[in-house]
Amino acid sequence: MSDAESRSSTDDGDTPVVELDNAEIVYDRNFLAVQGVSMQASRGDIVALLGPNGAGKSTILKMISGIGRSERGEVTRGDVYYEGEKVTNFQCKEMVNRGVTHILEGRRVFPDLTVEENLRCGLYRQGRRIRYDKSDYDLAFEYFPQLEDLLDVQAGYTSGGEQQMLVVARALIHRPNLLLLDEPSLGLAPKLVKDIYETLREINREEDITMIIADQNAKRTLEIADYGYVLENGQIELNDPADVLVDREEIKEFYLGTSSEESRYSDIRHYKIRKRYT
Amino acid sequence: MSVVGTLFEVTVTGIGLGAIYALVAIGFSLIYKVTGVLNFAQGQLALLGAYLVVVLSTPLLVALELPASAAIVATLVFGLLLGVFLERVVFRHFIGEPVLSVIIVTLALGGIITGMVRFLIGPQYRAYPEAIRPDWSLPLPFGVDLSASFTLGVALSLVVVVALMLFFRYTVIGSILRAGSSDQQAAMVLGVSIERTILLSWALSIAITSIGGLLFAMSAGGAGFTIEAVGVLIFAAVVFGGLDSIPGAFIGSIVVGLIQQLGAFYAEPVIGPGVGQVLPMVFLLVVILVKPYGLFGTERIERL
Repeated sequence: MSDAESRSSTDDGDTPVVELDNAEIVYDRNFLAVQGVSMQASRGDIVALLGPNGAGKSTILKMISGIGRSERGEVTRGDVYYEGEKVTNFQCKEMVNRGVTHILEGRRVFPDLTVEENLRCGLYRQGRRIRYDKSDYDLAFEYFPQLEDLLDVQAGYTSGGEQQMLVVARALIHRPNLLLLDEPSLGLAPKLVKDIYETLREINREEDITMIIADQNAKRTLEIADYGYVLENGQIELNDPADVLVDREEIKEFYLGTSSEESRYSDIRHYKIRKRYT
Repeated sequence: MSVVGTLFEVTVTGIGLGAIYALVAIGFSLIYKVTGVLNFAQGQLALLGAYLVVVLSTPLLVALELPASAAIVATLVFGLLLGVFLERVVFRHFIGEPVLSVIIVTLALGGIITGMVRFLIGPQYRAYPEAIRPDWSLPLPFGVDLSASFTLGVALSLVVVVALMLFFRYTVIGSILRAGSSDQQAAMVLGVSIERTILLSWALSIAITSIGGLLFAMSAGGAGFTIEAVGVLIFAAVVFGGLDSIPGAFIGSIVVGLIQQLGAFYAEPVIGPGVGQVLPMVFLLVVILVKPYGLFGTERIERL
């Protein structure tokens, strides 16, 4: 945490796109999901948010995008800043209007709508832009040319990989400034994961979209990320530039399985893997 | 009149009646499609639409010598406003709550509406003034005349069905309404205002339903509490057509209208009075057993 603070102070006034300052997030007024998290994403960076199930990755994304408010989530301590503006506990629509787009976990396409209709929904925000034009999809087709042939297919009938492409494309034509991705690799074949991640990197570079990617696939995520945070039980355990983080012993042992074969969870004292709610 | 002529007349009347049911049924399907709520107050909302004219007629419609079309426009405007009002005052507070609680709320709402109409206007049948009863009819083959209210019902319900289908299929807002109904959160993170989509659908739904109630009353010469029964009949229609399908609601309603009229004319002399009312409900049971998603209802896509 002190690391993050010193990082922001050495940034010489270059405000990060998003910053959490010692944030505590509580669901339903009594369920503590995240505590004392300080993190930030600098402009143009891809930030990896790693950690096991229930570590608080999704919760952090949800409180940045504001959708967590609709699940009775609340930042009870600390603050969230977006482009230097305090946005603690803002509603989802307020964050959307500021250019934050959240890709929710689990490839949430609208299954009854066609691929085109799904994309169309990305063109609309808060009353603006009611009319649409097929050329609006060009940006999506540039990165996901496969979608062009699927326009009239019902999204529910497309494959998992195509659905993941669709949700990213839909978010892309929404022209975000900050893109939050929750588990984009979930349940996809390794080859597809590789493709998606490479495309994300490309989008990040070409379109200048800052990204925070929460994923359990530490290896892939760190490959394309600039900076990484490892969460455990709602707290940040590690944070470093991605190339440093990927070489850390804890990461290697716990996520990448590249260390000695004898190592077990119990040997890694840093990670207190246990159920939190028992 | 010949046998064929009689059959034709009964059939045409059934279609006309069904088309009026269709307006109420479309109001129901629209809300179900967008918000997932089964509105059990449809019959009462139709009733309210029908009685509104009674309230307005003496001071306004008759005094200003306005025709039947003015009654329809007034009801339409009233329906839109009522929809906005109910969404603001009642349904908005239930966004994010389980759908079941909203359904229970609609039951309560139905009770409140019936009670208020009874209290404010009285429980009696109220004949519409001559001036606002359309006095023309549509001549058809076999010397059959389709009354103005049935003709209007067919025309208006067709217009509404086609307009809504085009709206949902080809406009951005239409896509967004369907998106919001299939996954609220995923729509919200794209900047869709769920409040607005729900407001829009309640306003449209109640406006269409009120027109249905008004035309039903016009076909009977005035407003009576029997209109509430339409709220039950349309269940057979929407279940047959598929709960979330607008054209399904239309076709289902026509079928129910036909069953009711044909049943009343041909089965009642044989079996006994009231069969015409019973048959649509028997039909409802059979449909649920045989085709639970209805003709055009969306079957849930489960990818395995």
